[in-house]
Amino acid sequence: MTHESAVRNAWTPAVATGWTVTVVEPDAPGTDGAISVEGMDDAALIAASMAGRRDAFDAIVERHRRTVYQVCYRFVGNHEDASDLSQESFVRAWRGLKTFKGQAALSTWLYRIAVNVCLNRVSVKTPPTDPIESTDHFEDTRVEGAQAALLREERAATVRKAIASLPKKQRATLILRTYHDLSHQQIADILGSSVGATKANFFHALANLKKLLGNEP
Amino acid sequence: MTHLSADELVDALDDTLESGRQAHLDACESCRQQVVELEATLGATRDVAVPEPSPLYWEHLSRRVRTAIDAEPPTAGGGSRWLRWPVLAPIAALALLVMALAVSLPREAPIAPAVATNEAADTAVDDRFAVVADLVGDLDWDTAVSAGLIVSPGAADRAVLDLTALEQRELARLLQAELTRAKS
Ligand SMILES: [Zn+2]
Repeated sequence: MTHESAVRNAWTPAVATGWTVTVVEPDAPGTDGAISVEGMDDAALIAASMAGRRDAFDAIVERHRRTVYQVCYRFVGNHEDASDLSQESFVRAWRGLKTFKGQAALSTWLYRIAVNVCLNRVSVKTPPTDPIESTDHFEDTRVEGAQAALLREERAATVRKAIASLPKKQRATLILRTYHDLSHQQIADILGSSVGATKANFFHALANLKKLLGNEP
Repeated sequence: MTHLSADELVDALDDTLESGRQAHLDACESCRQQVVELEATLGATRDVAVPEPSPLYWEHLSRRVRTAIDAEPPTAGGGSRWLRWPVLAPIAALALLVMALAVSLPREAPIAPAVATNEAADTAVDDRFAVVADLVGDLDWDTAVSAGLIVSPGAADRAVLDLTALEQRELARLLQAELTRAKS
């Protein structure tokens, strides 16, 4: 735990009154005495990470890994690539910490990084998607229930595959708008485009999905 | 009247369609049909969740990230070398010295307002403020907090780098006076 220095003085110059300056001795990173990252908000975690505290960056990863993974998964439609892209997103975030000015929420900044990592993915072929799980998964449920669940999962896999096959900007727009509730303006900022272009991308993403999914309910 | 554009169809989905165009939508069967179809596709899409990986996966991902960052060159990422804790501690001590210097000074009369409008005096004052700038360097608010420098009271928190121009001049003047006195 930190200890307050014995120095605690009031400075009252002509133009500023009633100030108190308290100096708290900093703790070295990774030592028992370090201030816990548990209660830190995102801004404090960023500041601590920039000051070299790896445990603070670990906490950022822990806090945002699910969201980043989900963006990546929706982009590529399979676990293995999503995992690689998630890792790459966080490494880029680490490299870019100095450029994070706090002008956007940390989550928005991470969305931007993850989407760019996904957009820049070298592979342009239609990504492989995860296979549908077998009925073994539902062995404890009634047969009808298991069949319904399997149908639902088949349907979900079809949708995920269709999303993963959309043109990249349409895909990014659809994912951020539909699953992460970002505004058209936020998406435009992330993709470096206009709000009009973002709306057009969203429209075309839905129109293409409709075609890909046919008349299935 | 023209049918809704792609943008406007999206606005219709969002319920943010401008009133004139909403009137068209209400009257146009073709546009209404398009909106209904888009809503259906959106509904079918929204329901689809990402398969949840094994509970053990998340810690595995964290470990992968940690290992990858460990392999990064030391200049990358957070904690650029001079900002690391061993360096921050002396900076905090230095900033403390600045503050201690200031509190040890006797009170003096406020600066005459004429000083603020005198260009030559401003330059001189800026030079004097450079003394403070040299001492605190690039220490920003977050770094100052990380380093343990906390300025109170609470909601009215102000760091030394957050001073008004007048306050900066006063601090510079006090420091300069103290340094001069120390030399003599
Ligand atoms: Zn119409």
